[in-house]
Amino acid sequence: MLELAPILHKAFQSLTVWVVAHGLTPLAAWILAKAIQAGVIVLLVSLVPIVLVYAERKVSAFMQARLGPMNVGPYGIFQTVADGIKLIFKEDIIPIGSDRLVHLLAPMVVVAPVFVCFAPVPFGIGLVPIDLDIGVLFIFAVSGISAIGILMAGWGSGNKFSMLGGLRGAAQLVSYEVPRVLSVVPILMLYGTQSLRAIALAQEGRWHGFLPKWFIFYPVVGQIAFLIFLIAAVAETNRTPFDIPEAESELVAGFHTEFSGLKFALFFLSEYAYVFLASAMAAVLFFGGGDGFPAGGLLPSWVWFLGKTSFMVFLFLWFRWTFPRLRVDRLMHFCWTFLLPWSIINISLAGLMILLRR
Amino acid sequence: MEQSLLTLIFGVMAALLIGLSIVVVTSRSVFRGAIALTAALGVVAGLFVLLGADFVAASQLLIYVGGIMIIMLFVVMLSQRPRDHMDRQTNEQWVWGALFSLAVTCALIVQFRAVYRGIFATLPPAPTTASVGRLLLGDMVIPFEAVSLVLLAALVGAVYFGLSKKERGR
Amino acid sequence: MILSLHHFLMLSAIIFGIGIYGALTRRNILGVLMSIELMFNAANINLVAFNHFLYPERVWGQGIVIFVITLAAAEAVVGLSLVLSIYRTIKSVYTEKMNILHG
Repeated sequence: MLELAPILHKAFQSLTVWVVAHGLTPLAAWILAKAIQAGVIVLLVSLVPIVLVYAERKVSAFMQARLGPMNVGPYGIFQTVADGIKLIFKEDIIPIGSDRLVHLLAPMVVVAPVFVCFAPVPFGIGLVPIDLDIGVLFIFAVSGISAIGILMAGWGSGNKFSMLGGLRGAAQLVSYEVPRVLSVVPILMLYGTQSLRAIALAQEGRWHGFLPKWFIFYPVVGQIAFLIFLIAAVAETNRTPFDIPEAESELVAGFHTEFSGLKFALFFLSEYAYVFLASAMAAVLFFGGGDGFPAGGLLPSWVWFLGKTSFMVFLFLWFRWTFPRLRVDRLMHFCWTFLLPWSIINISLAGLMILLRR
Repeated sequence: MEQSLLTLIFGVMAALLIGLSIVVVTSRSVFRGAIALTAALGVVAGLFVLLGADFVAASQLLIYVGGIMIIMLFVVMLSQRPRDHMDRQTNEQWVWGALFSLAVTCALIVQFRAVYRGIFATLPPAPTTASVGRLLLGDMVIPFEAVSLVLLAALVGAVYFGLSKKERGR
Repeated sequence: MILSLHHFLMLSAIIFGIGIYGALTRRNILGVLMSIELMFNAANINLVAFNHFLYPERVWGQGIVIFVITLAAAEAVVGLSLVLSIYRTIKSVYTEKMNILHG
């Protein structure tokens, strides 16, 4: 009914015809199509945090029995736009003792990888920008580059407390990468591919006629993997209960204390963009993103994908206002002594399951 | 046209890599050198992609950039002194060092041009994860297990160095 | 001009030379470690280039590169923890101060 994939395919064919009529090769048409797709993704990933910030404020308000932003626009829906305009017009203060180049580059290094990470994510059936054969590994590898940006932010601030905040933040990020990657390994083992589009397609169908073949419904392995991935993703995006690096009551604002105006907006944008990325990955890996009532039926696949991603985002928002903050050493202890052994046990359970299937 | 595009991409990446490496070895601030090294490692991952090794490129980004460089930046940040940015970073034997490295580079380049000129790629790039996995657990399983022992030793050594004198149990 | 093997080999030779210069002339021991990482990467480019151009149907070069990356990680970890221990003792990271075993 509203499936996007055939429309996009026809658009690409007409684009190729137009380009060839102007004397260039079909490769130029392909490059142009990919450039347009990249532009759409950059636009999407820039606009989604605006919606997410508003959603967070509303959800947290309703959970605390208050109303949240209600002034700017009907029910306060333009609040984030107003916040963004305020941040753009703020003065950009650079501390004296800091390295100016590093101070300038740090927000860019934190934000840039998240746009690239959305390239292999299937937004529905047939809606992958680039179907990489190493999709999962690619996302994990590129999102690890943000930790370098956090270290640069800590150094570029020129004061010891921000540097400590940067060090703590990078240590937390690097530590929680390990259980996050290991918790996804059972999925790679059981589906035999790293391509996100193939993983989403492999989760089609039903068991016994009613239970969807999503990975979260696999006995034991699916649930443990999902829980470990969820906890590790919350820690990776520096959200409560793991937000010591940027908590307001701890190290002032941690590594982004000395960044004002547009640079602070970029840090904020990166946090919500990573929340969206983690939710999209969980929707694809564990919930069979795009799977639902079949195409042409009730709802197209991209609506299902957005629905599942929104559910995961709601989980992220819910966690923030439910759990108290973990102290830094408890956080590390939890990662290395609980999450890591359980993710390795999960891998061996997945191996056992493959053995029993034969 | 595709070949000239690939050559252009290679030229840009090569120029970037050489520039970043020069920044690494000559920069006055160690932190800037470390950031330049991180960027250089990213460009090397791009070169791996150009050579059709996608799994190795992702591993390079994951391990080198996301692991080793973070540790190195940690140590740079933890061992800084206030006066560091005013010191020169090159020692007195730089002339001999430059001559030696120039000699090695020229010898290598001359040899490479003589022996390996004019060899072109024959197969188009294909996904390599499955074949690398089969190789590591098939023909190369003994080095694979040995490397895991080396990593264990490195882990134990690093943890031991991190303990204080009291904790080491002397 | 079609991309050929010797382009990649020349690039890796240049990077290797720059790494040698850095390893020989940097005063800061972390600078020496970074130059050694540059040399590792030059060798990795060589390995993958040979694999792609001369033996494209097998992946031995890439397997060896995985090992080189892993061993470079192990070496960097141990080297950096040594540097931290030295810094705690003599409060400096410059190589000319690290001459207690000298003589």
